[in-house]
Amino acid sequence: MQETLVTPTLSVLSRSSITMQDRSSTAGQASSTGPQPSRPSVIPPPSKSKGWKSGANVRRMRRIIAEDPEWSLAIVPLLTELCIQHIVENFQNNPILKQLLPEHQQKVLNHLSPDLPLTVTANLIDDENYWRRCCMQRWPVCHVARHGGSWKRLFFERHLENLIKHFIPSTTDPAVILDLLPFCKNYVRRLRVDQFLPPVQLPLQPWNGELSDSGSEAEMEQPTGDHYQLRDLVAGLSHLEELDLVYGVKDCGMNFEWNLFLFTYQDCHSLAATIKACHTLKTFRLTRSKVDDDKARILIRSLLDHPALEELDLSHNLIGDRGARAAAKLLSHSHLRVLTLANNQVRAPGAQSLAHALAHNTNLISLNLRLNCIEDEGGQALAHALQTNKCLTTLHLGGNELSEPTATLLSQVLTVNTTLTSINLSCNHIGLDGGKQLLEGMSDNKTLLEFDLRLSDVAQESEYLIGQALCANREAARQRALNPSHFMSPITAKGPENPVG
Amino acid sequence: MNPPGSLGGLEEKEEEDLSTPILGPSIYSDNPQERIQARRLRIAARLEARRREALGEYLDGKKESEEDQSKSSKQKEESRLKLAKLLLCGTELVTNIQVATDIREIHRRVEEEEIKRQRLEKLENEVKTSQDKFDEITAKWEEGRQKRIPQDLWDVLSTQQVHCAALIEDKNKLISELQQELKTKDDQYVKDLKKQSDDICLLLERMEEQVKNVMKTFRQELSYIEKAFEIERQELLTSNKKKWERALQAHNAKELEYLMNRIKKVEDYEKQLNKQRIWDWEEYNMIKIKLEQDVQILEQQLQQMKATYQLNQEKLEYNFQVLKKRDEESTVIKSQQKRKINRLHDTLNNLRSKYAKQIKQFQEENQSLTSDYKRLVMQFKELQKAMRHFALIDDKQFREIWLMNEEEAKDLISRAFDVDRIIHTHHLGLPWMAPDFWFLRNVGPISQQQQKSATQILEEVLMQTEEEGTEEAASEAESYLDLPKQISAKTTRKILMLLCDESGFLIESKLLSLLLPLEKNECYLLKLDAIFSALGIESEDDLYKLVNFFLRYRVYHSPSSQEQTSLMSALEPGEKRDLEEQKEESLGEGEAEEKEHPSSPKLIHPNDVLKILEAFVMGLKKPRDSRTPVKLKHVRDDSKDSEYWEALTTVIPDTTQNLWDALYTALEKYHLILTQRAKLLIENNSLEQQNTELQMLLQQYLESKINSELQVPPTQVFRVPTK
Repeated sequence: MQETLVTPTLSVLSRSSITMQDRSSTAGQASSTGPQPSRPSVIPPPSKSKGWKSGANVRRMRRIIAEDPEWSLAIVPLLTELCIQHIVENFQNNPILKQLLPEHQQKVLNHLSPDLPLTVTANLIDDENYWRRCCMQRWPVCHVARHGGSWKRLFFERHLENLIKHFIPSTTDPAVILDLLPFCKNYVRRLRVDQFLPPVQLPLQPWNGELSDSGSEAEMEQPTGDHYQLRDLVAGLSHLEELDLVYGVKDCGMNFEWNLFLFTYQDCHSLAATIKACHTLKTFRLTRSKVDDDKARILIRSLLDHPALEELDLSHNLIGDRGARAAAKLLSHSHLRVLTLANNQVRAPGAQSLAHALAHNTNLISLNLRLNCIEDEGGQALAHALQTNKCLTTLHLGGNELSEPTATLLSQVLTVNTTLTSINLSCNHIGLDGGKQLLEGMSDNKTLLEFDLRLSDVAQESEYLIGQALCANREAARQRALNPSHFMSPITAKGPENPVG
Repeated sequence: MNPPGSLGGLEEKEEEDLSTPILGPSIYSDNPQERIQARRLRIAARLEARRREALGEYLDGKKESEEDQSKSSKQKEESRLKLAKLLLCGTELVTNIQVATDIREIHRRVEEEEIKRQRLEKLENEVKTSQDKFDEITAKWEEGRQKRIPQDLWDVLSTQQVHCAALIEDKNKLISELQQELKTKDDQYVKDLKKQSDDICLLLERMEEQVKNVMKTFRQELSYIEKAFEIERQELLTSNKKKWERALQAHNAKELEYLMNRIKKVEDYEKQLNKQRIWDWEEYNMIKIKLEQDVQILEQQLQQMKATYQLNQEKLEYNFQVLKKRDEESTVIKSQQKRKINRLHDTLNNLRSKYAKQIKQFQEENQSLTSDYKRLVMQFKELQKAMRHFALIDDKQFREIWLMNEEEAKDLISRAFDVDRIIHTHHLGLPWMAPDFWFLRNVGPISQQQQKSATQILEEVLMQTEEEGTEEAASEAESYLDLPKQISAKTTRKILMLLCDESGFLIESKLLSLLLPLEKNECYLLKLDAIFSALGIESEDDLYKLVNFFLRYRVYHSPSSQEQTSLMSALEPGEKRDLEEQKEESLGEGEAEEKEHPSSPKLIHPNDVLKILEAFVMGLKKPRDSRTPVKLKHVRDDSKDSEYWEALTTVIPDTTQNLWDALYTALEKYHLILTQRAKLLIENNSLEQQNTELQMLLQQYLESKINSELQVPPTQVFRVPTK
């Protein structure tokens, strides 16, 4: 088991490294050496344990050991022990578990080898300890909390992710993944794939052609560079809730080519159909995948009126105003709660359309437009929208070329709005006057807990005073959380005033 | 929670930066913006420091305000604030890098845009100029084609070549320029990469530092809190211990005090005990001596007593013997007595049983007798009833027989009278006077006048007086016929009304209330009835007695009394009947008297009424007692009957009887003559008849045809008497 799982990754890596090493670079070697040191640390344990086991067997062979002070003749194991041992040894061929008594089940599970094939174990064993051992054996670092506290889920999710990561279209047999489907469909809730390998032919072609004109080559090969189609897999996973995809290649090193990071229209269409068909999906993330306006529109159109979708993350892409407009439409046609369009190319018109959608939205809680360029026009539109919106709590407008007019409007919003708890205006050109106005706005606000104004040309004094107000708000919020009956206890109301006065 | 998230974001950012091979500003470049950022960072750091200071103050302020709270809670609050502060600052410190990168990216983008624009402009210019040049060259080609002279053509071609070369040179230059730019960009990219890796390193470092810091401070704060708790506990312990010790000390002192007191007391008591013991000892000795002396005396006395005892014993023995004898005797007597008692008891029991039996018997007898008595009473009552019934019937029969007899007698008498009259008038020719006797007028059996009850009288009186006004004159004489009184009804009535008014106390209050709605007369009637029942006046006589008493009283007390009234009133009611005629007169007189003295009853003063009544009641008692049995036996008085009947027989006097006898003999004689005469008459008659018959025969004979046939009719012979 261990070897079958590990070898493909190694082989792929080694092959890619070999293919890329032809281009002769030292960095590539460095990257390829990366996974190598992990190998000895992963493989040795089974061999070690084996050696120990054999030693134990040898010891058991002898009837009398004079040197062992703990030895005694009464060591003949019980029949149940023997049976359990036998069951454990022949579990692969004859899995007997449910028929046993609970304590015997526990014993069997404790002694089962993590290397048993999934076909046997997947639907039979629910014991978390067993799956923990499986996970610990395969991966040195496991964050079980990120997988809902279930080791079995963690195992299957990571296993599936591994398989997808190392799937090479038209080379690897798709059955490798689809065969696993009946075993893992009940346990996989999240799919986080940060790598989609391109078809194998692609890297072969550049060998023959020119090395310098990589850009032109990418354009030529675009239609053929489709990645693994998730449709069948996702359709089979009945509990899938989260899909986190990155169309790109990791650790390519000096073998970099543009077409390694290509999200083709074919991919886009198939992904759109996939997510449309998946009604349980709650979170969809497609980041760092060069999604432009058209692809974004294709994807978002398929998400319109989705029954379950709550979070959409399209950050680090190339979405412009049209994509933003599509997202705005999605806002009014779904139950979206979190929208992230960070590091895209949304400008004022896109922000205005988003603001228009936001003005009457009652679902969205968080909006992230970091590192866009919505400028004052967009910022003002958003501020106007926030005067009527009663739902949004988190707004990130960092790095958006905003300046004083937006700050003026936002200060008005601060006095009116009672739902916002976090605003980020860092890396803007708010200016001294804007800072003062924001401070005025803050003086009337009692709900805001976070207000980031770093590197936005605000006077230190106003930033400091805003910080004070935030502190007071936080303290009040904490008191409210501690004893919800008293909205404002007198101590907390007085507390922050002392240092000011 | 925050650091890992931001870390992830930063990582993504760095990766993204890595993936985009565009040159960015590096820390090490002389870019002024970099320096600005550095300064900003410094400012931020300073700001944080100041904020921290402010928070410290704030904490101090809080500490003062929460002096009263316990040290541990204070420490907890302090630590919490401090840690929150630390976390916030640390997060800010870490995210500062991200923010810095962001702004760098923005700046880069702005610059990039500018450069891009410039480049495009440049390229466009280049395109324009090269196009011009190319146009020029192409124009020259036409020119060249027109050239016929090879030299010229060559020249043109060479110039063309030169131009082309220049064009190509320009293009190449542009290309090389662009390539140069690309190379610098490449360099920039590498630098950016380095810078970003440095950033990431810095970030990691900071994060690690932050983690360490946070852990350290958390530990520290934990230790502080623990220490605070420890101190508090210690303090609490020490204070409690102190308290405990103090209490213990106080307790010890008290204990000692008690002990001392106790010891002292014990000594005192011991002393007292000793003293007591000595005293007791002495006393004991004294008592012992005294008692011994006593014992000696008592022994002497004992000897004496023994001697007397001996003596007494003998005496008593003798007595005992005597008594024994007596006792025996007495036992004999006792047994006798006992036997006697037994016997008596037996008899007593017998008697008792007898007595009980007798009682029973008597009771039974009594019962039977009472039942008998009851039965007899019933029988008696029935008998009485029957007797009454028979009496009534007898009365009736008697009356009927009487009436029948009387009628018969009267009939006979009237016949006798008729005969007598006829005799007198027809035979004697004397005037006949019808004899008048009282008994002739009498109808029914002679009986005593029925006594009316007082109330009836009253009613009559009242009713009559009521009607008086209407038929005063007409029926005065007749109406008072029933009332054989010498007193007028008016007077009676007045007296009665006076009585009624004055003696209301005799009437029950209930009755009074009932009487209210009634008419005046009825009211008086009922009132008087009640009063009479109270006074015991029952009969008519009593009532008249009363009235007379009143009048007499008045007469007594008024000198102008009337003899007559007093006399009349004194008369017995039985005699009154004989004086009927007299009464009528007296009534008339009484009326006249009353008319003369109309105010006579008024002379009786209302105040005297009671006295009169009292006197009357006292007087009434005696006669009533004597009369009551007489009244009860109401037996018809038949002494007058024989007289009556005798009288009836002697209705025709002896003289007339004598007369009748003489007349009878004379009449008999006359009768004899008459009878002879009658005989003669009858003879005469028969002779006459014979005569007529003979006449008729004669006639017949005469009238017959034979006569006619006869030559000589007989008729002619004799004379035929005509009728």
